[in-house]
Amino acid sequence: MAKRIAIIEDEAAIRDNYSAAFRREGYAVDAFDARAPALKAFDNRLPDLVVIDINLRDDVEGGFELCRELRARSSDLPIIFLTARDSEFDAVSGLRLGADDYLTKDISLPHLMARVAALFRRMDALKKPQGVESRMTRGDLTIDTERMTVQWQEQTVSLTLTEFWLVHAMARYPGHVKNRQQLMDAAQAVLDDNTITSHIKRIRRKFIAIDASFDAIETVYGMGYRWLSA
Amino acid sequence: MNLKRQLLLVSLLALMLPWAGCEFIRETESALRAGQQEMLAGTARALANSMARYAEEFPDRIARTVAGEQIFLHALNNRPRIDGYIDDWLLDLAALKTLRGNDGQVRMAVGTYDRMVYLYVDVSDRELVYATAETMVLDDGPRYADRVTLVSSSPPYLEERIVFAAEAPGAIVSYRQDSYGFAPEPAITAYWQDVPGGYRIEAQIPADMLGTDLGMVVSNTSDENQRGVRISSYSGRRPPPAVHQASELRQVAENLVQTGMRILITDSAGWRIAAAGELTESTSNRSFGAGWSARIYDLVVEAGEVAASAEPDAGGREQQPYVSAALDGRETAGWFRGDSNGRAIVAVAAPIVEDGEILGALVVQQDTDRILSLTNEGLVRLINVTLFSTLIVAGALLGYASWLSRRVRRLSLAAEAALENETLHAALPSALAEDEIGDLSRSFSSVLRQLGDYNAYLRTLASKLSHELRTPLAIVTSSLENLEHESLSESSAGYTARAREGADRLRRILSAMSEASRVEESMANFEAESFDFRKALSSTIDAYRDVYAERTFNLDCSSPSVPAKGSPELLIQMLDKLVDNAVGFSSVGDTINIGLDVAGENLLLSVTNPGPPLPDRMRSQLFDSMVSVRGAEGSRHLGLGLYVAKLIAEGHGGSISAENVDGGVRFEVRLPA
Repeated sequence: MAKRIAIIEDEAAIRDNYSAAFRREGYAVDAFDARAPALKAFDNRLPDLVVIDINLRDDVEGGFELCRELRARSSDLPIIFLTARDSEFDAVSGLRLGADDYLTKDISLPHLMARVAALFRRMDALKKPQGVESRMTRGDLTIDTERMTVQWQEQTVSLTLTEFWLVHAMARYPGHVKNRQQLMDAAQAVLDDNTITSHIKRIRRKFIAIDASFDAIETVYGMGYRWLSA
Repeated sequence: MNLKRQLLLVSLLALMLPWAGCEFIRETESALRAGQQEMLAGTARALANSMARYAEEFPDRIARTVAGEQIFLHALNNRPRIDGYIDDWLLDLAALKTLRGNDGQVRMAVGTYDRMVYLYVDVSDRELVYATAETMVLDDGPRYADRVTLVSSSPPYLEERIVFAAEAPGAIVSYRQDSYGFAPEPAITAYWQDVPGGYRIEAQIPADMLGTDLGMVVSNTSDENQRGVRISSYSGRRPPPAVHQASELRQVAENLVQTGMRILITDSAGWRIAAAGELTESTSNRSFGAGWSARIYDLVVEAGEVAASAEPDAGGREQQPYVSAALDGRETAGWFRGDSNGRAIVAVAAPIVEDGEILGALVVQQDTDRILSLTNEGLVRLINVTLFSTLIVAGALLGYASWLSRRVRRLSLAAEAALENETLHAALPSALAEDEIGDLSRSFSSVLRQLGDYNAYLRTLASKLSHELRTPLAIVTSSLENLEHESLSESSAGYTARAREGADRLRRILSAMSEASRVEESMANFEAESFDFRKALSSTIDAYRDVYAERTFNLDCSSPSVPAKGSPELLIQMLDKLVDNAVGFSSVGDTINIGLDVAGENLLLSVTNPGPPLPDRMRSQLFDSMVSVRGAEGSRHLGLGLYVAKLIAEGHGGSISAENVDGGVRFEVRLPA
């Protein structure tokens, strides 16, 4: 059965374009232009993945509200924010509400498709028993490429999709400097310098929360970042 | 000229007050004086008419040229001792008649007292030659001596001579020579006194021994065999008539004179032949002396001639212009004023005419004490009051001007400071005042506020614009991406690809436009960390060498490690902007210098590139949002790069500046260490 994706987006043209793209990929799509009709439909049945715009016409923070309510109903429903709001503050707020990814509308459709596919893949992988072959170990770091999870000193570090891909890209070849373009490609996103910097900062913070002495990600000024193997 | 000076100048108008007062006093004074002159002129005319009745008392008219040679007989008030000294004559020394001699001046005076005539002669003589028994006798003998001869006659009779010569200093015997012979004259007393450089003779001669005409001859010789030089008081063959006091006229005048009035009567040559009355000495209590107020008085009141020249002439001949005019037949007034005591005299001279012939002049003089004291008091009060009020007015205006200019200055300083510090919403001084300066302050405020709003608008314009454009751009790109999945003809695919390219460029532009707001956001919550600036810099410069292969980069840093505090990512981002700018303005092959220095408490980071200098007009706005000094060819620059650099520098508590250096431009960031 086809996976069901719900899009809540007030801008008709974008909604239609995204819907068309998802359908082309073989997903079933429910499109809504506001919070109320979406919630009403979700009463009957929850979709498999939700794409939410934050600003829903007059409902300025409607996307956040929706995310909060959905997270209340299901803890593992993949939620993606797709918005024109590119401020750090909005991104942090969105992720704190439990969204799996926060994307700006700069993202290209292929990138979006890749992310959605990845999220579904992770959902599937989480249901299956853990396979050893998909595991990658770099010192204290363990990466499960199937489930897209990361462990540091055997503790799970909860990362968003973008963050996971960034860590994965760096840790795959420890000691190699990954420049911004390489990181962007790996994260299936178009990000500017400041966004990459803040992603890296957030990743560091998450690791430091587990291990205060974490310093495996080194900034190579003017070049990029590299993973230092212990 | 500043406001204070202008108002001070205006306050000078207050000087109109004393000026007007002075005008008034001057008017009053001259009106009063004119009245007194008028009155005095009437008196003078009446007196002159009554004097004309005593025509026989006036001497005959003589030629003007000879008038100066007449000898004036001073009426003495006491009998002098005959001792060679003139002190006891109680005569002003100016009264002495002066003749020019070959060895110096000869000064003489003749006086009368109680039917006696007195002679005083002071002769300058370098070499005295005394007489002997034989030289004593005749003027033109075989021997000569220094001597003084008094020549007198009563035409048509023959003249007589009285000769004074000395065998030795002291009392001498004088000789009288007339048609009867030459003999010592015991009735004449004379005294010869030697003085350094000459001799003096004082003599007493009975009045009836002398005629109406009188002259004096001094014979000066240096050798008893030489005749020597004759110094004569007259130029003609015969001496002119002597000037006698007309006692009849004096009595008439004395009967007519009033107190405080003086009457002088002169003959037709101006010789004073009678005088009566005295001017009262000024008795009024002057409220000012010889100081500044007297000087002001001098300035204010029409100047007269000095009072001393109103006094009767010591030599006996009245030669003031107004007297001379009267002698020419014109009644004339004079006006005399003392320099120190404020004494003023009005004088009128009227001709005395009998049968169309001018016999002489009558001069009436009167004190103007009353006028003076009136005007003086008024003037003093006026000066005090107006000086005081002028000072008050000037002081008040000056204070007012200072206050006003201080307000204006404070306002302009505050406006400048607001512009400088970009505190464009700050309240300006005088904003609540209800006058024009208040209006000015309020308009300044509103201009500044509008400028501030405009600046704020400009600052956010880029990010707002990019934000608003993002959604339509997303529509375009997503549509194009969908379109690419349709089966397209080759040409359509080409168009789509081009449209994608355009949309991509648009996205990059929008991203650059919102960079400033994202940097601001990062600035707001960045955590300062300690790092080695030099290390970060060298790795960054290595990266620049890869990116900008056509430029040479040079790091100029003397210390091996430079510890710094801040956000290294943001600082590198700032450097990116400066380097991007430097690359844009330099040409292929140029060297870009990046310097890092510790200067006291500060870190100095500089980027220097060869290239065209910064235009002056852009200097101050260089770091503003949406300002670009590039021409059309650099149109991909929105002028946000340097603005971002400034945001980062200031966010770190530092500053950024740009200056033209030799053959290039140097940007300098000053950061607190």
